Amino acid sequence: MGLGLRWYHFVLWAGFIAIMALMPEFVSKGTLRTIIFANFLAIFAISWDVLSGRTGYISFGHPFLIGIGAYTTAILTKRFDVPVEYAIPTAVIMTMVGGTIMFLPALRIKGSYFALVSLAFMELIYQLVQVIRPDLTGGTRGMSGLVTLTRGAVNGYYLSVTLMIIVALCMWLLMRTRLGTALSAIGMNEESVKGSGLSPTKLKLFAFMTSAFVAGLGGAFYVHYLGSIAPRALFDINFVFTIIVATLIGGASTIVGPMFGAFFLTFLLEYLRPYLPGAERYLIYGVIALLLYMYQPKGLYHIVMTQLDRFKKRADDD
Amino acid sequence: MMTKPLTIKNLVKKFGGLTATDDISFDLNEGQSTGLIGPNGAGKTTIFSQIMGEYRQTSGKIELYGSEISKLSTPARIRLGVSRTYQVPRPFAEFTVLENVRVGLMPDSIWKMITEGPNVDREIELALSVGFSENDLRRTPDELSMGDLRKLEMARTMATNPSIMLLDEVFAGLTVGEIDQIAKLIQKMRSENMTFLIVSHDLKALEPLVDDAIAINYGKIIAQGSFASVISDKAVRTSYLGT
Amino acid sequence: MLEIIIQGILLSGLYALIAVGFTLIFSVGRVLNLAYGSYIMVAGYIYFYFSQLLGLPPIAGLLLAGILGSCMGLLKYNLIVKPLKGDHIAVEISTLILAVVLQSTVILFFGNSAKILLPIIPGVIHIGNATVTFNVLAATVASWLILIGLYLFIKKTHIGRAMMAVSMDAKGASISGVDIDKINMITWGISGFLGAIAGVFFASYTQLSPTMWVAPLIIAIAIVIVGGIGSIIGTLVVAHIIGFMEIISVALISPQLRGVFTMLLIILVLVIRPKGLFGREEL
Repeated sequence: MGLGLRWYHFVLWAGFIAIMALMPEFVSKGTLRTIIFANFLAIFAISWDVLSGRTGYISFGHPFLIGIGAYTTAILTKRFDVPVEYAIPTAVIMTMVGGTIMFLPALRIKGSYFALVSLAFMELIYQLVQVIRPDLTGGTRGMSGLVTLTRGAVNGYYLSVTLMIIVALCMWLLMRTRLGTALSAIGMNEESVKGSGLSPTKLKLFAFMTSAFVAGLGGAFYVHYLGSIAPRALFDINFVFTIIVATLIGGASTIVGPMFGAFFLTFLLEYLRPYLPGAERYLIYGVIALLLYMYQPKGLYHIVMTQLDRFKKRADDD
Repeated sequence: MMTKPLTIKNLVKKFGGLTATDDISFDLNEGQSTGLIGPNGAGKTTIFSQIMGEYRQTSGKIELYGSEISKLSTPARIRLGVSRTYQVPRPFAEFTVLENVRVGLMPDSIWKMITEGPNVDREIELALSVGFSENDLRRTPDELSMGDLRKLEMARTMATNPSIMLLDEVFAGLTVGEIDQIAKLIQKMRSENMTFLIVSHDLKALEPLVDDAIAINYGKIIAQGSFASVISDKAVRTSYLGT
Repeated sequence: MLEIIIQGILLSGLYALIAVGFTLIFSVGRVLNLAYGSYIMVAGYIYFYFSQLLGLPPIAGLLLAGILGSCMGLLKYNLIVKPLKGDHIAVEISTLILAVVLQSTVILFFGNSAKILLPIIPGVIHIGNATVTFNVLAATVASWLILIGLYLFIKKTHIGRAMMAVSMDAKGASISGVDIDKINMITWGISGFLGAIAGVFFASYTQLSPTMWVAPLIIAIAIVIVGGIGSIIGTLVVAHIIGFMEIISVALISPQLRGVFTMLLIILVLVIRPKGLFGREEL
């Protein structure tokens, strides 16, 4: 597969998994709950990164995909009494199918148009969901009292962290294959990719469906963690913003970058909560994000890597 | 009798009021190498673009090994065996020389991209064959000279494993030594039966590499035949060489 | 029926004004200004602050909002777009972040709840059996005047023609001696002004809230995608198509399906004619 794995990759991943597994021993229940949110945000950020991190097709409509997964499983379990084991896979498939149908026209066009269309779709689905069959979707207020898969912070934590690690590991490995190279090439020069004998549309579609898969999976599990679903929170521009900023701060296209970005952001927001309880928090971290992004668009991952490279070079010189 | 690799019939391309390609017809036999010469703006690159599918011709036929390819996308045509270099190189800006070649070597199959790793030996082989040194392999385009960028174009074009190569000003900006190396490479491929259509202003470098030539001006063929006869043709001399 | 036609014309005029400011940047500068909606929102609040809270005459409030919009545009261009050297992905993301930052700033100063703007011109007029507020009528008339003015500016003045040249071929224009940077600055300034004026009108048509910038942005986007870039007349026509579609769907079908047909129109155009109905080029 040509993944180029080295010993330190194994060590880092093993270390990370170990820390996450032992986390409940070290932290309070409250912090665990925060980490659970961070885990889900990491899943959403990774999903975004798969599609938009390399190809330059910035999607502002990820809540749309997450929403399909969330609503499908919510409706199936609450209105039709479908068992969760069937509802969740169905939700994932629906996200892939539904999302692809909607975005197929947009994927054939250049990146900027795609960004516009995704933003428009998100807004319009928000309107639709409140209006079409509110008996099923719960309309503007959403639904509550949904099946929850786990009880308590610790179990919720283990479920979310397992899901997050599996997703992160799989996507990280996938992007290390030549597929990742091809997707990055699209972001650099899509015409040149065609000139190399590869069809960008096929590649974009695959990236999109993978992204939809992860988004639907995350959305479905999230809804069964929360036990409720509310369109207001789901289709909010702040949500898009959070996902994108988490990815960018961490470092787009790296998969692990978005993962750490999600943690950074979640804890930053929690830290600011007592001082700025409302939407004003977004102001602070929006400004931080903007400054950081303009200074180093490749994010913290790149900053860390450059420092390590300098370290290695100095070590080699000695 | 084998089908000809490339056949162009009555090709016309209009951009609004401008006729860039004005009823051009020619063909290439297997292993033939033809030089395409003409002044700037004569329409040589436009012909390449139509063959590759970057522009759709206004009318006329393009056949690759006997099949009409006008409906095919650029990647599809490349899979049939035709590939070109670009007058303005367009490498992948954040990839190294090796990674740039890697993209050209990739099969257009997602399954294969995932399950099979890169063939680094072949990447190195291609890069070295066009004249890169071992030190250059990990350089990125911003660190390369124009000459190096053209070599990279050449390597990437070869990576797609073509049987017909369209070379667009592949010598411009190269040193004499670099031209020599590329020329040797082209001769080697000719001996392996590669079909060439080569655009070049450097007639001296071009002459040993081609079997014959086509001269173009204002989108029309003004002379066709052996290289010597074409460059001594009166119309060609007036339009191109200014004498 | 008359009601629909009148409401349609009124809304479309406003939509056209909103869209033109957005298309201008896209067309001339080749970048997406996702914080365009923010001009609309911030301008609305500026007007609210000066005219309602401080009591300045409405025209003053309007002009102030417009000037501030221009300034915002210039700042955005110089602080964000220029340093990013036209990396369009970076600009898309930065302007989105900026938009959310502006939204949060407004919440910080004015709070989260929606506010109703007092009409710029009070009173109503009756046409047939339709009731039309002077406010909305004035907005539409002003929109048309501004659009005509803009059209003449682009066609007749030197700067306007330079803008057109840059939108068609930036490299070629620059070789012909056009100062691209200056043209960009002027374009961003005009775009900010247009957005701001549109914003005050839009706010008086609906209501003022920190999240009000999303809806007009989506409309501008829809008009750009369906209409294509490069033609003010095209933008006008499509603004009317979308404006009428909304009014008709609200009046005859259901108020909540307002945006759905717009979305379907976008999909249709992308599949059949990606460069837009009046577009000059594939984007």
